[in-house]
Amino acid sequence: MLSKGNQNMKLKSLLLATIFSTGLAAAHAAEGELSIGTEGEYPPWSMADAAGNVTGFDADVGNLLCAKLEMKCHFVVQAFDGLIPALKAKRFDIIISGMSITAERKKQINFSVGYAELANMFVVKKDSDLAGVKDIETLLTSLDGRTVGVQAGTTHAHFMEKRASSAVLKTYDTLDQMQIDLASGRVEAAFADSSALQDFLGRPDGKDFQFVDVKVLSTFDPTLGEGIGVGISQENTDLKARIDKALCELVADGSIGKASQTWFKTDISRPCQ
Amino acid sequence: MDFELVFLAVPTLAKGLWLTAILTITSVAIGFNLGLALAVMRLSKNRAMSSFAKGYSTVFRGTPLLVQLFLFYYGLGQLSFVRDNPVLWWVVGDGAHCAVMALALNTAAYTSEILRGGLMSIPAGLVEAAQACGMSQLLRFRRITFPLAIRQALPAYGNELVLVVKGTSLASTITVLEITGHAKRLMSQTYAILEIFAIAGVLYLLINLLLITLVRLLEARLTRYLPR
Repeated sequence: MLSKGNQNMKLKSLLLATIFSTGLAAAHAAEGELSIGTEGEYPPWSMADAAGNVTGFDADVGNLLCAKLEMKCHFVVQAFDGLIPALKAKRFDIIISGMSITAERKKQINFSVGYAELANMFVVKKDSDLAGVKDIETLLTSLDGRTVGVQAGTTHAHFMEKRASSAVLKTYDTLDQMQIDLASGRVEAAFADSSALQDFLGRPDGKDFQFVDVKVLSTFDPTLGEGIGVGISQENTDLKARIDKALCELVADGSIGKASQTWFKTDISRPCQ
Repeated sequence: MDFELVFLAVPTLAKGLWLTAILTITSVAIGFNLGLALAVMRLSKNRAMSSFAKGYSTVFRGTPLLVQLFLFYYGLGQLSFVRDNPVLWWVVGDGAHCAVMALALNTAAYTSEILRGGLMSIPAGLVEAAQACGMSQLLRFRRITFPLAIRQALPAYGNELVLVVKGTSLASTITVLEITGHAKRLMSQTYAILEIFAIAGVLYLLINLLLITLVRLLEARLTRYLPR
């Protein structure tokens, strides 16, 4: 009985909170304020402290965006898997939480243009003749007849099939299996996003390997996705147009690139097409 | 059903059909001979030989084929002496070679059990008669024991052949592009899971129908003198 009473209490307060915050969010939007949903527990993208202050790359992008739009900003911290449902319930106006634009998510919400993107890169043995290649076209043509590992079903696999069809493609169910075959020499190169491969290079197995210094971005080929975008409610088309414009300007003037340097030591900003 | 997709999928999967056939034929050729040797060892009076054959069959029949494939491909591939030995690496380094090895060793275990049953069914009188005629052990095996044993074992062996064909689909997990491997790749390109795997299933069915028919014809030929 006690626990049931407790549950009822919780349910009521949750309901109240929802009604209250929905009302607040609506009021904010009306007064030129923007509430931003973010995960808050994903360094260095988004970190929230006990007082509710959010720092990180997401926070910087949010603040830059609000300054550009001349609106007041306010962060709402929410677990990542609850961000899209909460946006649809109007608990906040937009999502900035390192969220990749995917077809699946597009069915639920709108996205701004992609403003950032983790580079996709190749890893090869240090003594490979590919190790010194500096430009993408040379790299893709010199993959002719070589075995390249990718994870099955990823954008990387689609990219290789489209742009380097003369390479012998090996597809793996998991990244781990691909890395085992890279280490054992069954594949000469592996193609994945740089953070996953960075992890491999840091392990004992990866000590004889290095990145090919070519960042393959979705601006080079759209099969690689659309990068990371701001999530916006599907009803709010006017806001999407303003955010797109602001993000393009922020990338073009280098402010997002600068924020990226602060948090990632590399520029992951993605120019508008 | 999207018919444009069927026209795309059939030629791609047919490419895989060829490799599935090669995997099956090679591993059955190796596995049958190995299985025959194991069956003879199993029935020999030498204790060491028969217990080796028994242990082999227990291990390979008692573990899943997928586990064996992963052990050979990823497991052995991590050992540096395997990587540095060109002969071993020729077998383990290539997905298709490795799949043939695993399939052959696996089917050898089942084949040995099937042939053992066939060999044990030979009436002692026939063997004694052959001995009385002065036939050597090898001649006796070639003329009397083996032909009768294979006739007895053929229905069960036909079943094992079908299992080998289906077992080749596991090679797709170690990067081999046979029918299932191509199907998985097409699936992630088109998301038309139903059409693609239906076609893949039909291709396996066709191979197995052909195989079953061949085994039936062989069976009819081997038993042509038997009263019905």
